[in-house]
Amino acid sequence: MHIPDGFISPQTYLPAFALAAGFWGYAARRVHRQLDADTLPFVAAYTALAFVLMMVALPLPGGTTAHAAGIGLLAVCFGGWMAFLAISLVLAMQALLFGDGGITALPINALAMGMVGAFCALAAWKLLARLHETLALFLAGWLSIVLPAALVAVVLGMQPAIAHDAQGAPLFFPFGLSITLPAVVLPHVLVGIAEGVLTVLGYRYLTRLRSRLDA
Amino acid sequence: MNRDRLLLYLYLAGILAATLVHDPVWLGAGLVLVLLLAGRDAWRLLRRALLAILAFNTLISLGYALMAWWQELSPWLTLARLNLRVLLLTSLTFLFIARANLFRALDFSKGLTYVLGLAYSQALTFRRAHEDFRLALASRSLRRPRLMDRYRASAAAASWFLEKSLHAATQSAQALRSRGFFHD
Repeated sequence: MHIPDGFISPQTYLPAFALAAGFWGYAARRVHRQLDADTLPFVAAYTALAFVLMMVALPLPGGTTAHAAGIGLLAVCFGGWMAFLAISLVLAMQALLFGDGGITALPINALAMGMVGAFCALAAWKLLARLHETLALFLAGWLSIVLPAALVAVVLGMQPAIAHDAQGAPLFFPFGLSITLPAVVLPHVLVGIAEGVLTVLGYRYLTRLRSRLDA
Repeated sequence: MNRDRLLLYLYLAGILAATLVHDPVWLGAGLVLVLLLAGRDAWRLLRRALLAILAFNTLISLGYALMAWWQELSPWLTLARLNLRVLLLTSLTFLFIARANLFRALDFSKGLTYVLGLAYSQALTFRRAHEDFRLALASRSLRRPRLMDRYRASAAAASWFLEKSLHAATQSAQALRSRGFFHD
């Protein structure tokens, strides 16, 4: 889902950096309050976990694969702010240490996946967990993929209107909303199903593992 | 200010400049400058950047060329601008990664450097383990694995990573506590 460098205009990524920086500062302060010898390694461990979950290929019928993101699982298990920080760190690591993804796209990817994805997943989980735990977990995973994809599609699709030359030719991403919305969102509706299943199974596995470690 | 932080600021300024310039000639000149700065690694850097952007940019470029042909517009300026910009930004990022130490650039924050260092080292370990899992499935399958086998392999890998993260976090916490990290 995440956008490479060179497709987002400065009119978009500079305000997005300002917004994301505010949220990063707030999230760091919130997590810092609980920061001790226990929580600090957990932030690092879950960042590495989110990184590797993005590498695990989920096979789809027809021979193609989708990549999990683990956003829903991180949000449900460790809270929205922790998930936001972990996903942001993963994206920063991918961009600046592994050369994958983009620095100009970092704030948009972080806001879409880490903020919208994580908090919508958490809201779905909190609202529905009492009614039906499995459905709540599945929806948390599904929403954590589909809503960020929709946001990314909107940001990409707005680029020709935001940044174009005197003749109207696009300066950055060249396709409008009529193309980006179906092209980005529809495949992620399917990927979201795999992510929903991963969230259900991952949550159950983590709950069992934690109780085994605590015992 | 240390050298790596200065390189980080220069890199960020370069990124901003590359998105404010829209003339393909200037974007091309920027790319030549980055390759000159890369010195003997220039071709390797260019090859790596081209490979990194090839799939996505080919798809976008072909799509745009088709759309422009349909609307009877000339696509060349937009395609040159788009591809040169993406190539310039990617090459610049790879040059920064090769020349700067991000951990030293961010050493103004002890917590951030620590989290990044720990996450990076674990991510490298996990990446190697992920490759091992992939090779293990390939080496144990005479034919292309069935969908169900691939699901099982992905589930086994994911559960191993979940368990490993919990253990790694617990071990790091014990190591930090024993070394008095939070009391220095």
